[in-house]
Amino acid sequence: MIRLDNVTKQYTTEVTAVRDASFDIPKGEFVFLVGASGSGKSTLLRLLNRQERPERGSVFVAGQDLNAMADSKVPFLRRNIGNIFQDYKLLLNKTVFENVAFTLEVIGRPNHVIKQQVPAVLELVQLHGKEDRFPHQLSGGEQQRVSIARAFVNRPLIMLADEPTGNLDPSTGEGIMRLLDRINKTGTTVVMATHDQRIVNMMRRRVIQLDRGVIIRDQVRGVYE
Amino acid sequence: MLTRITYALRETWASFKRNVTLSAASIVTAAVALLLAGSTLLIQKAFSNLLIQWQGGVEMIVFMKAGTSPEQIASVKQEIVDAGVAAPDGISTLDQQQTYDQAKVVLAGQTTLLNALSPTSMYSEIRVTPAKGQQDRLPDLKTQIEIEPNVSKVGLATDAILVYRRLSSFVRGVTIVLSSVLLMVAVLLIWNTIRTAMFARRREIEVMKLVGATNWFIRIPFMLEGLLQGLIGSVVSCIGLVAANSLWTNNLNGIAHDTKSSETISLLALRVDSGYLQGIMVIVVIIGMAAGAIGAGVAASRFLDV
Repeated sequence: MIRLDNVTKQYTTEVTAVRDASFDIPKGEFVFLVGASGSGKSTLLRLLNRQERPERGSVFVAGQDLNAMADSKVPFLRRNIGNIFQDYKLLLNKTVFENVAFTLEVIGRPNHVIKQQVPAVLELVQLHGKEDRFPHQLSGGEQQRVSIARAFVNRPLIMLADEPTGNLDPSTGEGIMRLLDRINKTGTTVVMATHDQRIVNMMRRRVIQLDRGVIIRDQVRGVYE
Repeated sequence: MLTRITYALRETWASFKRNVTLSAASIVTAAVALLLAGSTLLIQKAFSNLLIQWQGGVEMIVFMKAGTSPEQIASVKQEIVDAGVAAPDGISTLDQQQTYDQAKVVLAGQTTLLNALSPTSMYSEIRVTPAKGQQDRLPDLKTQIEIEPNVSKVGLATDAILVYRRLSSFVRGVTIVLSSVLLMVAVLLIWNTIRTAMFARRREIEVMKLVGATNWFIRIPFMLEGLLQGLIGSVVSCIGLVAANSLWTNNLNGIAHDTKSSETISLLALRVDSGYLQGIMVIVVIIGMAAGAIGAGVAASRFLDV
């Protein structure tokens, strides 16, 4: 599903965010990217949805070489990738329903599909009955659930999560992880950047550890070290 | 498709309302620029009507009697050529039908006068553009030609005509420059409005891009917003053009009615008929919409990195 071959990403000549990174992630896997702040986790995620392009090496997602991909094809790639962020990135002037529907709306799904899929995914993330609330009327955990619903409503092949529990208390964070686990069990590949030791140790999934842009560990059913 | 169209229209209107102050500024500037551009075309047309016989540097017109044969006209023309006053290609002839067609332009709207005319009642004309430095010899040539049996009269460009001609060029030049500058300002204002709108919605745009919206999908509501600003501005300018033209026509009619002299009646040629005005309004609306959409499109493209 995802393959990196000797990928290097430099922002300036002095700052190398990712250095010579290579790994394979098969379909349906759940992978943690761990490491200290500035270790290159977020850059790796940005390389996977073509927000960044590497200086060297190749990035393959769903069988497509992102280096060779024309700019006009990028939106179609991103329709297969759901994104979750630490700060949720919800649209504050839209309700829960509208935030989730937005994903389907911008890719031109017809209204009847939107009316059918949005309630279903809100049910999945346990936000049924809160469709008409605005983000400021929700708790942090609920906002992150909306963000997950928005990322998953299109049934993407891959979910990229950048510190999704970073702003949440431990028990709410665990709820989010259970949700991501359920999504992963539907066959969606999940790649999650985190430095939340407790969560990594609790989940016991594959762990790729970065240190100053270099992969220093790739461990199946790993823990945070 | 319906979802996309609904989305684009809804977002266009929402953004337009959100930036109402900036939108109003863009609309007013576009309206003023387009009003000036439209006025330029009206002024040009008015002067062109007035100077229709004297265009292309013509300074002498020989009016041949109705019924003069082409051979007799050619003979007078030859006499003018032999005098050596005219510029190369400076002699042209208009037959009765052509002078009748011109009269219809000059006297547009004056149905009583027009009904009294027909192609057979019109003069044929020989128009003379003098060679450089030969203008002073025109009065002598006039005296020489006037005595020809088939010549009804010979007219020389009066000082007034020469002043109108220079005034026309000056006014045209000034208004073209002013309206171009103002139009550019309007495009820049629309550009800035759209840029501000995009900045205000940068979070939304970021999310749109991450969930797979194409750049065109993001760009179109902004382009529609610019187009809407240009459209409203152009409609306002059209209302201004109609009002200005109506005021102008009424004033000219009033002057002609009060004085009734032949010179003031000839000023009625400065009126612009409604058909031409409608043509100008269509042009103004197209320019307004295009300027708005292009300004917005350029702004939207600049702030959309894939």
